Amino acid sequence: MFDKIQHLTPIISHEEILPSIYLLLVEAPQITSIAKPGQFVMLSCSERILRRPLSIHRVDKKGNLSLLYSVIGKGTEWLSQKKKGEQLDILGPLGNAFFLQSQAKNLLLVAGRVGIAPLLFLADVALERGNSVTLMLGATTASQLYPENLLPGKITFLTYTEDGSPANTTIATQKGRVTDYVALYAPSSDQIFSCGPTGMYQSLKNSLESVKYKKSVQVSLEVRMGCGLGSCYGCSISTDKGMKKVCQDGPVFELSSIRPGEIKI
Amino acid sequence: MNLSVQLAPQNKHGLQLRNPVMVASGTFGYGMEYVGIFDIQRLGAIVCKGTTLKPRQGNPQPRLVEVEAGLLNSIGLENIGINALVKDMTPVWAQWQVPVVVNIAGESIGEYAEIARILAGKKGIAGIEVNISCPNVDSGGMEFGVDAITAAEVTRAVRQSTGLPVIVKLSPNVTDIVKIAAAVAEAGADALCLINTLRGMAIDIKRRRPVLGNVRGGLSGPAVKPVALYMTYQVAHAVKIPVIGCGGISSGQDALEFIMAGATAVQVGTATFRNPCAALNILEEIEQFMEDEGIRDINALVGVAHRQSNPSGSQ
Repeated sequence: MFDKIQHLTPIISHEEILPSIYLLLVEAPQITSIAKPGQFVMLSCSERILRRPLSIHRVDKKGNLSLLYSVIGKGTEWLSQKKKGEQLDILGPLGNAFFLQSQAKNLLLVAGRVGIAPLLFLADVALERGNSVTLMLGATTASQLYPENLLPGKITFLTYTEDGSPANTTIATQKGRVTDYVALYAPSSDQIFSCGPTGMYQSLKNSLESVKYKKSVQVSLEVRMGCGLGSCYGCSISTDKGMKKVCQDGPVFELSSIRPGEIKI
Repeated sequence: MNLSVQLAPQNKHGLQLRNPVMVASGTFGYGMEYVGIFDIQRLGAIVCKGTTLKPRQGNPQPRLVEVEAGLLNSIGLENIGINALVKDMTPVWAQWQVPVVVNIAGESIGEYAEIARILAGKKGIAGIEVNISCPNVDSGGMEFGVDAITAAEVTRAVRQSTGLPVIVKLSPNVTDIVKIAAAVAEAGADALCLINTLRGMAIDIKRRRPVLGNVRGGLSGPAVKPVALYMTYQVAHAVKIPVIGCGGISSGQDALEFIMAGATAVQVGTATFRNPCAALNILEEIEQFMEDEGIRDINALVGVAHRQSNPSGSQ
């Protein structure tokens, strides 16, 4: 009956894997058993008035839920201090999910920095069903790039840095923004999924228009939220289909339906 | 142990709640949003999102900002409009045990009356909460709630348009809330709810501009509780109709303070964001207090703090 679970989950591990970016693993079998790629959880951060939305990074068969987040304010600063064995109050899974078309075979994932978070859960599911998955990841500099050794083995991993600094990856890092290179890989993709800063989506839109890409492009919006459940209207955005709540109607939207330049949450 | 309270003793339908813990408008959507989280039927009542005659898109983003011990919001009454509410929500509510009160907001006195008429006779609605206190819209909302004469006119217009229990939700952004409360009671309200949010703002010093897209917002949360509590205390003493206390209630202790100040029921709002089950937890804490203190009827606690006060009001 209750499909959104609020409960205390013990921390299994918690590590700063990149500067100010943390990988958090909690034991939450009630959530992992029903979570789908693209969904998120709301995490209570001490006495803060609002919970913090974090997209589900990955799940494993033991019931562990992993979250990847940047420290950007008081809530995430508090969270980053929590140690193995301590408990966290998590509500989820929430929101819609990425929609994987049954006939899609070649998937292109486009991530900006910590935007890789929801895409790896999707990659795990897609690889499991035998899809070919290419992950393009961009950052300002190489030290911000997600470590290749944490990725699933069969993924094709392409990296981009704005300053041209090379990452220690199998395929050499290219200089520039990830969206500068999307046009090279889009035509051979059946579906594209993306997550990153909102500004990246306008560039993505432009790049895909340049190659007249007509297939489904789904993006996950990471915005500030109030309730996370669709009740407060704090995260509403204007779309081609009217006002939509990122927490309830999203966080995944078709790129064509949103107006990235207008999203200022 | 009796927890039930009556919010509209003069009304032919009455507004009997199983317990005094309600959830506040704008913090609980239309109720459906919480069905997957806990048993909402255990609540005293649900007050739905503020609803206008026509659908509204609301204010520009950002609409929310956390402040010390509180939250500023500037949603601007984004809502589906009264016709969609009647069509899509009321049939669901009619199946529920928990009473649902519809919060309404108009841009003119005539609009308030029209919305009330549309709701008349619809199943699934236990009462109307008249919002004359929204600080986030330019026309309507708070402008009706800051003047005793217009507040009374809105109340009278709604009163004449419906037989349903009418609750009027008051604004704290006034010089003398007691005067407005008395005028609204006189105009035929069955109950009062107070307070709505306090006007406020926040500035982003790096960008050197207001954080909220609409500059100002309404402050809620623990920061407003002492203000809301004293207003409840004053108003409950001055009017004969039931008062619903609202403002920063986050625990059973908070709720009991409002009840002892004279509130017949309480509304839990911002606390629901951190803990979706906050209202239920508060109810359980009230029950625990009554058990510990040997109180058999919650009504015995309503307004008790007045009797304990120094009659001269001075120390």
